[in-house]
Amino acid sequence: MSINIRCASTEDLLNIQHCNLQCLPENYQMKYYLYHALSWPQLSYVAEDEKGRIVGYVLAKMEEDCEDNPHGHITSLAVKRSHRRLGIAQKLMNQASRAMVECFGAKYVSLHVRRSNRAALNLYTSSLQFEVSEVEPKYYADGEDAYAMKRDLSSFYQEKNAAKEKVNKDGTPHMHTGRCCEHS
Amino acid sequence: MPSSNPLPPKENALFKRILKCYEHKQYKNGLKFAKQILSNPKYSEHGETLAMKGLTLNCLGRKEEAYDHVRRGLRNDLQSHVCWHVYGLLQRSDKKYDEAIKCYRNALKWDKDNIQILRDLSLLQIQMRDLDGYKDTRYQLFMLRPAQRASWIGFAISYHLLRDYEMALKILDTFRNSPMICYDYEHSELLLYQNMVIQESGESEQALKHLDKYSDQICDKITVKETYGKLRLELGQYSEAVEVYTDLLNLNPENTTYYARLAEAERHAGPEDTLRMLQRYEELFPRALAPRRLQLNYATGDQFKSLVDQYLRKGLHKGVPPLFVNLRSLYTDQQKVDTIQSLLLEYKDALKVHGHFSDQEKKNPREPASALLWTYYYLAQHYDYLGCTERALKEINAAIDHTPTLIELFVTKGRIYKHAGDVQEAYKWLDDAQGLDTADRYINSKCAKYMLRANLIKEAEETCGKFTREGVLAMENLNEMQCMWIQTEAARAYQRLGKYGEALKKCHEVDRHFSEIMEDQFDFHTYCMRKMTLRSYVGLLRLEDVLRSHPFYFKAAKCAIEVYLRLHDHPLPDPTQAQEIDTENLAPSELKKLRNKQRKQRRKAELERQQAAQAQEKREQHNKSRQQTDPDLEQPTLDELIPEKLERAEDPLEQAIKFLQPLQQLASNRIETHLMAFEIYFRKGRTLLMLQSIKRAHQLDANNPDLHACLVRFLQHTGASQLEGAVAEVVKRQTSGIFSNSDAVQLNANYLKMNNKSLPHLLQGARMLYLLDPSAQAKALSLITNIDGSEGVNLENCTRVLEALRNGDLGQCDSSISSYTAKCEKHFPYATAFRPPEPKSIVNHQDKENSIKN
Repeated sequence: MSINIRCASTEDLLNIQHCNLQCLPENYQMKYYLYHALSWPQLSYVAEDEKGRIVGYVLAKMEEDCEDNPHGHITSLAVKRSHRRLGIAQKLMNQASRAMVECFGAKYVSLHVRRSNRAALNLYTSSLQFEVSEVEPKYYADGEDAYAMKRDLSSFYQEKNAAKEKVNKDGTPHMHTGRCCEHS
Repeated sequence: MPSSNPLPPKENALFKRILKCYEHKQYKNGLKFAKQILSNPKYSEHGETLAMKGLTLNCLGRKEEAYDHVRRGLRNDLQSHVCWHVYGLLQRSDKKYDEAIKCYRNALKWDKDNIQILRDLSLLQIQMRDLDGYKDTRYQLFMLRPAQRASWIGFAISYHLLRDYEMALKILDTFRNSPMICYDYEHSELLLYQNMVIQESGESEQALKHLDKYSDQICDKITVKETYGKLRLELGQYSEAVEVYTDLLNLNPENTTYYARLAEAERHAGPEDTLRMLQRYEELFPRALAPRRLQLNYATGDQFKSLVDQYLRKGLHKGVPPLFVNLRSLYTDQQKVDTIQSLLLEYKDALKVHGHFSDQEKKNPREPASALLWTYYYLAQHYDYLGCTERALKEINAAIDHTPTLIELFVTKGRIYKHAGDVQEAYKWLDDAQGLDTADRYINSKCAKYMLRANLIKEAEETCGKFTREGVLAMENLNEMQCMWIQTEAARAYQRLGKYGEALKKCHEVDRHFSEIMEDQFDFHTYCMRKMTLRSYVGLLRLEDVLRSHPFYFKAAKCAIEVYLRLHDHPLPDPTQAQEIDTENLAPSELKKLRNKQRKQRRKAELERQQAAQAQEKREQHNKSRQQTDPDLEQPTLDELIPEKLERAEDPLEQAIKFLQPLQQLASNRIETHLMAFEIYFRKGRTLLMLQSIKRAHQLDANNPDLHACLVRFLQHTGASQLEGAVAEVVKRQTSGIFSNSDAVQLNANYLKMNNKSLPHLLQGARMLYLLDPSAQAKALSLITNIDGSEGVNLENCTRVLEALRNGDLGQCDSSISSYTAKCEKHFPYATAFRPPEPKSIVNHQDKENSIKN
C-alpha cells in the first residue's frame, strides 16, 4: 500500500501526538489535540503508511474572534524524516486549506515558522505560496524568532464557486434557506 | 430554601456575596464575607456558610481545611441542598465521581428542580457512562428548560447513546424545526450528526434520503460525499457510487481508500481492471503518488517488472530517501522481492561502470552521481530486511564511502546493527547521525531510543534534553508532554538493568497519562453541545471507552506485569537488613570501602531527594497559580511515584492485576493478555481464573508454545490440589476441548512429538520436560541446544533459549550454555548476546550495568 492522506479523526490523536513528539520541539498535551478535533473536525489531516502508522500530519484550526475576516491557522505540521521528499507536507497543507475555505469561509491561512528552519521556509514560500507577514521576536520558548506567514486562499474560493456553479448548471436545486453553505 | 437554619437579611446578603465571589473566583473576598457571618456567635456553626467557606478554601489549595469545613457544614444542616451540592463539588474536584454523584442526588432530594445541580449531575453521569441515569437527568433538564439548545441536544444524545435511534431522531427533527438559532456551520454539523444517527439505526435508505434533502445545507462537502459513497455502495447503487468516488478522487488523489471503493463501485472482476483504473488516474494526476504506487500491488510478472523498473528509476534518479520504506510492503511476495533485487543489482553494475541504469542506455545522458548512492542505500535496506547482515553492511559502507555526510546512511547502518543484535554498535551510529544534524528532533528521538535499547539511560536523557524545556529535567518535561514511547522504552531498559522500582515508575506514569486523557473528556461534555460538533463528540466518547486498547498502554502494562511477577517470585531484600549482614563478615579495609560507598550513596540520594522536592514544590506552585486563575483546572495532587516504594509493594500480584484488567477488557484478542493473566492467577492459586485464561488463549491460538507451558502447569496444579465439588466439575467440563490428555507427562510428550522441529515449541516442551522430571535434563537440553535442524532459529528465539538456560529453567547446565552460545555465535556473528563476557579491565561503568541483565 501507498501513503494514504485523509482527514484525521479522534482515534488518530494519540498517534498524531506521538508523531509530533518524535519530530518537533513544540509539543502539546492530548487535551489540546482534542480541542482541535472537537472544534474543527474537518481541518486536520494525516498521512498514514500501510500499517496505519501516522507518518505525517497537519493540525489546523480557525482563529476565533474575527468573524468579519475568517482565517485559519496551522498549529503544527510534521512529516517524519523517514518519509520526506514524497511531497506529503504540501498535500496535507492543501487539503487542510481547502477544508478551511469550504467549511469556514477562510480568506487566508497563517502559521509560524522558526527563523532557522530553512527547509520549512522553503516549502512554505516556494511550494505553498506563503509570504512572510512579519517577524515575531522570541516567539519560541528557547528564544528563537518566528516568521509569521500568510497564504491567500482565494484560489480555493474559485474552486469552491466553480463546484457550486457546476451543481447549478447540472440543475440540482440549490435553495437558499439562510442556513446554507455560503458564509460571506 | 429548605435550609434548617435560615439567616437574617443582613447575613443572608453576605452569604449571597460569598456565592458571587466564588463564581468570580475572588476567593480571598469570599473568605472575608464568610468570616463576617461565622464570627457572629449565633451563626458560627451555620451549615451552608461553613460549606461555602470550605469550597472556597479548596479553590485556594487548602484541601484538608476544605474537607473539615464542608463536612462540618453538612453535619449542621443535613437538609440543605447547598451543603450536599458543595460536598459533591468537593468530591468531584478530587475525582471521586461515584461519591460526588451520591452527593448530588442527596442535594436534589431537597431541591429537585435545581438546574445547576442537575447539570453537574448529568456531567458526572456521562463521564461515568451511567447512560440510563444520564437520560433521566437530561429529560428533567429538557422539561425545565425547553427553550435552550443544549436541553434538546443533550436529550437527543442521551437516547442515541442508548441506541434508541427513533426517539433521538424525533427529538432532533423537532429541534431543527424550532426557531432556535443555529449558525451555518452548527446547522451543518447538526445535520451530519442526525445523518450519523440514521445510519447507525441501520436505515441506509433513510440516510440517503436525508442526505438528498439536506446536502446543500451542509458545508462539509467531503463528509457529504464520503457518506454518499458509503451509502450508495451499501445499497448496491454502483454507478452512482462511481460518480461519488470520482469526485472525491478529484479532490484528493492521495486517498487510497477512495481507490479501493472506486474499484468496488466499478465492480472489478480481477486485478487487471483495478490496474487499468489506476493507470487512468496516473495519467489524470501525474504528480500523485498513490495511483503509481498502488499499481505495484496489483501487477504481477513482466508487467510488475516493467512498472517497478520505472518506479525505482524515477526514485533513484530524483533521490527519494523513503523509496525502500515505500516499497517494503511488497516484500511479502517472494517473486516481487527477486525482481526488485535483480533490477537493483543491474542498476548498480551499470551505474558503476558507465553511469546509466542499464547497458542499453549508454547513449543517453548519464544519471546524476547520486543515483549510485541511492542504489547502494536501497540495497542496504533491502538486505537488512531480508536478514542478510553481511551484504547489508557491504552496501551501506559503499554508500558511506560514496557520500560520507548523509545522515540517512548512518541511521540505516545503526539499524542494521540493531537487527543483527548489536545494540551498542547500533547506538554509536545513531549518535553520529544525531551529531550531524542536532536541529532535527526525529534523529534525536531515534538516537535516544537506540541508547535506551543499549540500556544507556543517562545518555538518552541527555540527548532528549536538547529538545526539552530548559530548566526542567528532560524526563520531567517529557512526562508532562505525555511522551509515552520514551517512558516505555526507559521502563524496559530499567527492567533489563534490574532497577525494578524505576521501571515501575515509568509504567505507572504511562498509566496516568491514560487516566489524564480520560479526565480530559470532562470539559467537552458541555463544550461540544455548544459547538454542535456532535459527531466528533460521540467519536470522543467511543474513543475514551476503549482508550487503553492503544498499543502504548499494552506495552507499558506488559512491562509492569512482568516486573511485578518478578518481584513476587524474587522479593527484594529489606535494605537495612541486607547491610547489617554484610558488615559482620567484612575485613576492616573492605568495611571502610563499603562505608565510603554508603556515604556517597547517601549523599547522592540526599541530593536527588532535594532535587525532587524542589521539582515537586515548583509543580505545586505551578498548580496553585493555575488553580487561582481557573478552578476548573484544579488537579488533585497525585501520590508521588517513589521507585523504592513501588518495588517493595506488599501485594505485587494485586498491582499486576490492576494493569491486567484493562487488557482483559480491551486487548482480549491478544494471546499475551491471557498468558499474563495465567501467570498471575497461577501464583495466586486461583484455579478457575487460570482455567478462564487458558481457555481464552486456547481459542486464539491453540498451538501457541507459551500456552503449552501454561497447560502443563495447570494440569500439574489440578493434579496436586485435589479439586472438589463444583470447581472440579467445572474444570472437568471446561477442559475437555483443550486437553488431548489429562496427564501432564503424556501431554508434554505428545506435544514434543508434534512440534519436534520448531524451536519456540521445543523450548517450552523442554522446560516442561525438566519441570515434570528433572532426571530428563540431558534430553531436555539436547532438544533446545541442537538448533541446526530446527525451524524458527532466529535471533529472538535463540536469545529466549539462552535466557531460559541462564535462568535455570532446565537446572544447572553451565557446559551446555557455553557450547550453546558458541554455536549461536557462529549463527549470529554480530549479536552481542552470545559473546563471552568481556574481560574486566575494559568494562566501563555502563557495561557493568548492562551485565546485570545477564
